[in-house]
Amino acid sequence: MHGIARAGNTPVRDTVVWLDAPNAPLSPRTDSARVVLDQRNLSFSPHVLVVRVGTTVDFPNNDRVFHNVFSFRDGKRFDLGVYPVGAMRRVLFDQPGLSRIFCNIHPNMAAYVMTVNSAYFARADETGAFTIAGVPAGTYTYHAWRPGATAELTGTWSASDGPLQVVWP
Amino acid sequence: MKFAVLMAYAACFIEPRLAHGQSVTAEAAVTGGYSTDDVTAAAAQVRLFGDVTGGIRFFGEAAWAGRSLSDPHHESDSFNAAYPYTNRVQIIEAYGERMFRPHEGLVGIRAGRFRTPFGIYNASDHAYSGFLRAPLVRYEEYSPLSNNLLEHGADLVVGVPRLMVEAAVGAPGDVGEVRRHSGLDVIVRVQGYYGSFIAGASHMRTPPSKTAFVTGARNHVTGVDLRWTHAGVQLRGEWITGQPFGRSTTTGWYADALIHRTGMGPVTAVARVERLVFGDLRQAPEDYLSRQTVGARVRLGGGLALQVNALHQSGDKEYLPRALDVAVTWSVRKQ
Repeated sequence: MHGIARAGNTPVRDTVVWLDAPNAPLSPRTDSARVVLDQRNLSFSPHVLVVRVGTTVDFPNNDRVFHNVFSFRDGKRFDLGVYPVGAMRRVLFDQPGLSRIFCNIHPNMAAYVMTVNSAYFARADETGAFTIAGVPAGTYTYHAWRPGATAELTGTWSASDGPLQVVWP
Repeated sequence: MKFAVLMAYAACFIEPRLAHGQSVTAEAAVTGGYSTDDVTAAAAQVRLFGDVTGGIRFFGEAAWAGRSLSDPHHESDSFNAAYPYTNRVQIIEAYGERMFRPHEGLVGIRAGRFRTPFGIYNASDHAYSGFLRAPLVRYEEYSPLSNNLLEHGADLVVGVPRLMVEAAVGAPGDVGEVRRHSGLDVIVRVQGYYGSFIAGASHMRTPPSKTAFVTGARNHVTGVDLRWTHAGVQLRGEWITGQPFGRSTTTGWYADALIHRTGMGPVTAVARVERLVFGDLRQAPEDYLSRQTVGARVRLGGGLALQVNALHQSGDKEYLPRALDVAVTWSVRKQ
């Protein structure tokens, strides 16, 4: 499945798109790959991360300064405390929802982790394009979210519709 | 204030043009503050940092800060947490560094102009943590160590994440009102962590301050620092002893609590107790400096943060016994 996210004619990077499929089998990607939210150059990388419910995310510190990763609003709530260069902490994202990630030492560090109850999800690249691999034939309800959005977009999509167009108002 | 506006404007409109694999982040912060010590203050910092080719990173920071002290009959060190208030634009740090991760090891090389790697020294540990004054042991007027000490030289880190040794060699490049004589600097630091504990020990041999009454002697400083963190509570502190003025000895410590439980949302509560002793450790209580601080830092959103400190101090008649410091910082980042 391919698609593009845009607002008017402007591509919207970091748009997260997922399909309702809570009972889908685990995909190789979500089973075996390490999911990392890196801390480097006083920034989180990537800025937006999408994971399936039950995924453990690594938070390595690859800076020469201490960081204190935390999330206090919606989604997963945690505070990893301070830890030095080369050290790593892990967090299990066990409930769907959006987690806003900050560093309590560096006020301009921020990231998002969107946890979805689906094996079919993707994040749009800088051109707004996204690809969800291995989607079985059928009709799906899709959801889309982006940083700064006040609400998700939802709709239905099937393969016969062609590429999914996510258009932000 | 014109400079602060100019720097914020510049940071907002920087559009880095970079090749693939490179990245630059521009950041600006502007702070305004008032203290019941009759001090008003303004400060601004601009930072540029990121990756260049070959895994090399760079970091550069320029700062301006100014204070006005209305009452000529007393002193104040308010708003002196991590930057000098000398009413001049100054380059604080400018360095390049490269990190290697051989197997489970860690090797880091840094060269340029950087903060003296002694104890808990990073600007981010002191500038944004909720305290608006530097610890007494790191205040340049009193101590052999200051948050305004800088090195021109090279720094090497070798070890594994759990235990590493850092060594820096260079020459003093201080930015505060009190500066060291020129000469060779050597700093050695060992740091390790186990679970929630992070411990470090540092030693520095450096030329003495230019205000020293006895010249020619070397300044020796030794310190131990400790951090412990669990469930949103961080306890940290430093103990430092050294000789800033010839053979006189200065010893001091501080202990901080920074509380940020998940239920506290954008609020971080802070508390500090500290002491600084000149000369004989057995002297009477009225002969050493002591201070207790409680406060909070609140993220207001939109890049704004509020910091409030209330403190009580004794041991120096030039300083008022009680003070309330308030500061608002606005910061913006462009990537």
